[in-house]
Amino acid sequence: MRNRWLWTLFLSLLALLLACQPAATPTPTPAPPAAPSPTPLPPTPTATPAAPPKPVLFLSTQLRPVEEAEKMRNVILKPFGAPVEFIPEDEGPFHDRIRAEIQAGKVTVDVVGALHGNFVTLLKDNALEDLTSLMERLKDRPMIAQFVELGKLGTDRQYCIPWMQATYILAINKKALDYLPAGADLNALTWDQLRQWGENIHKATGERKLGFPLGPKGLIHRFVQGYLYPSYTGAFVTTYKSPEAVEMWRAFKALWEHVNPQSTTYDFMQEPLLAEEVWIAWDHTARLVNAFKERPDDFIAAPVPAGPKGRGFMPVLACLGIVKGAPNREGAEALIEFLTRPETQLTILREVAFFPILDIPMPADMPVHVRLEGEAVVKQSSAPDAIPALLPVGLGGKAGEFNKVNRDTLERIVLKGEDIQKVLQEEAGKLQAILNETGAACWPPDPPSTGPCQVR
Amino acid sequence: MKGRAWIGSALWYMGAIALALWVLAPIYLIGLLAFSPRMAVYRWPRPLLPLEFSLETMRFFVSATGTLAATRNSVVVALLTMMLSLALGAPAGYALARFLFPGREAVRMGILMTRMFPMAILSIPLAVTFIRIGLYDTPWAVALVHTAMALPFVILITASVFVSIPRDLEEAAMTLGCSPLSAFLRISLPLALPGLAAAALFTFVISWNEVFAAAILTLRQRTLPALVITVLNESPLYFRFAGGFFMVAPALVILLIIRRFLFNLWGITSR
Repeated sequence: MRNRWLWTLFLSLLALLLACQPAATPTPTPAPPAAPSPTPLPPTPTATPAAPPKPVLFLSTQLRPVEEAEKMRNVILKPFGAPVEFIPEDEGPFHDRIRAEIQAGKVTVDVVGALHGNFVTLLKDNALEDLTSLMERLKDRPMIAQFVELGKLGTDRQYCIPWMQATYILAINKKALDYLPAGADLNALTWDQLRQWGENIHKATGERKLGFPLGPKGLIHRFVQGYLYPSYTGAFVTTYKSPEAVEMWRAFKALWEHVNPQSTTYDFMQEPLLAEEVWIAWDHTARLVNAFKERPDDFIAAPVPAGPKGRGFMPVLACLGIVKGAPNREGAEALIEFLTRPETQLTILREVAFFPILDIPMPADMPVHVRLEGEAVVKQSSAPDAIPALLPVGLGGKAGEFNKVNRDTLERIVLKGEDIQKVLQEEAGKLQAILNETGAACWPPDPPSTGPCQVR
Repeated sequence: MKGRAWIGSALWYMGAIALALWVLAPIYLIGLLAFSPRMAVYRWPRPLLPLEFSLETMRFFVSATGTLAATRNSVVVALLTMMLSLALGAPAGYALARFLFPGREAVRMGILMTRMFPMAILSIPLAVTFIRIGLYDTPWAVALVHTAMALPFVILITASVFVSIPRDLEEAAMTLGCSPLSAFLRISLPLALPGLAAAALFTFVISWNEVFAAAILTLRQRTLPALVITVLNESPLYFRFAGGFFMVAPALVILLIIRRFLFNLWGITSR
């Protein structure tokens, strides 16, 4: 009896499998919802029957979260004439896939969208088409010149065409404003005032309400690279173990007294902000935006604080490129042209809160959360003491290790309380080893170097 | 005397309840928050009873591009994996259990050693090979890799199942006129079925949960874990609960269906 039962189960599984078989054959997937309907209007008799536009496969490390990806498919890419398959992917598999396709000599991906740093790696893998002629055709767009230059990846050809930008700012719960230190200007804070602010809140409420994304997926290494070091030492690699750096870590350790110890679990600061576990947080604009979106009346955005040397901040550039041997080069170029149009750039800003790479004014009808972040971003980059710092350039596959050195430095000094001089000495050695191995030259704000960047 | 027995069974039940809670409480919380309004996820203290009900997050997740197709792909891949690994693994397990041949231990060891290769170093060569032979981005590619991953377990489980079925039974059948094949089909196989079902279930779970190979070998034909890991890793908390629930639920249903066969298996192997 029991056995018969089992046989029935097996047979029904087999039947199910056979029923599913069509899905298992390598047929091309049906077009995504963004595609035009399969039964278009009957063609006018005079028109010559034109071939339907070939779909473009767009692989992206940006706009991965489910809502953003859906916005991309259903709103942003909608006005583009041809079907686009937008597939978001993590950085690791992204590079592996492109490498595998190039090696196998059969490319399926047309357009890639990724951070500027990823493009340096793609170029090293010899996976990018030269887009200089396409860039020539986009000349009339008011693209920010500095980004166009970055897109050349240190060569004289254009490989990455600027797509969108972001940065890191402060998000502040309005409840914290009651404790703002006297004389502090929210738009021109210093790190010392932020410490004082945290201390005031700590004393008044008994809770540590500052927050940083120190979790496994948090971006704290960017904080060390682009915010802390430039503000205190005016540079990053060259001053890694300078006396100013020692002073800086001492000050940051004092600030940490008022940081929520749960910070070691935070990946995206919007979550603890919404849960009110922290009141003041530093993070990427895309990782804060939900707080402003869900409760625009309770949160404000502000530029990051400044240190003795200035206001270090990190503009993040995402680029578009075409994979070498892309099956649909024509469609890929059309898609890049479409995504860099001013109206598309504003749709991107409105829908997913990434900022345009064009020098265009922000219209008044933007949603509140975009305006809140946008104002802080502009104030930050146009501050008289601003020190723009690039994401590390030219580290290729070693970028992860490099970030880990920065993170380790912070954790050893701040969390474990190890001796600052000793930690800096040791970690600077590891940093130098990575730089020597990759041969990466200094990037701003460090002064340019010939040969690998050197820690002084 | 009676009092002591009472304490014993009370302890027994308390232990059982603690274990059940340990497993069920997280699933309950995931389910609860998956069907709560978005902002309820951030409220403190967290509500522990389903006071508010909302399908908003769940509906968005399920209707998002690719979710349903990925679910279908996952089921197809898991079933293919199950069939392939049983078809290859059960005969191997039978051979290991029944026949004494030179190098038997080496074979056993070799089977286990396939588990020693980390997927990460194989990813690019695997992808390149599958692109060249035209299997890239198909459920078959993922199923083949999952079969390779599951085979050692299937072989070892089925070997231990066949070992526990006395050879005498087959021999008795043969004295009564069965050929070796029909003796196997009529005597050993029915006795081994619960064990094979357990091995199949195990394969299903391995395949259902596997992310890495699925992520690198598929692009349009994503499986559910591969889709969920890229799409939910960086999504707000409420979507992670919805996605988590969506991943757990099918596995739970399958476990509930197949539970009785598992108990059968323990009945056989504990002899």
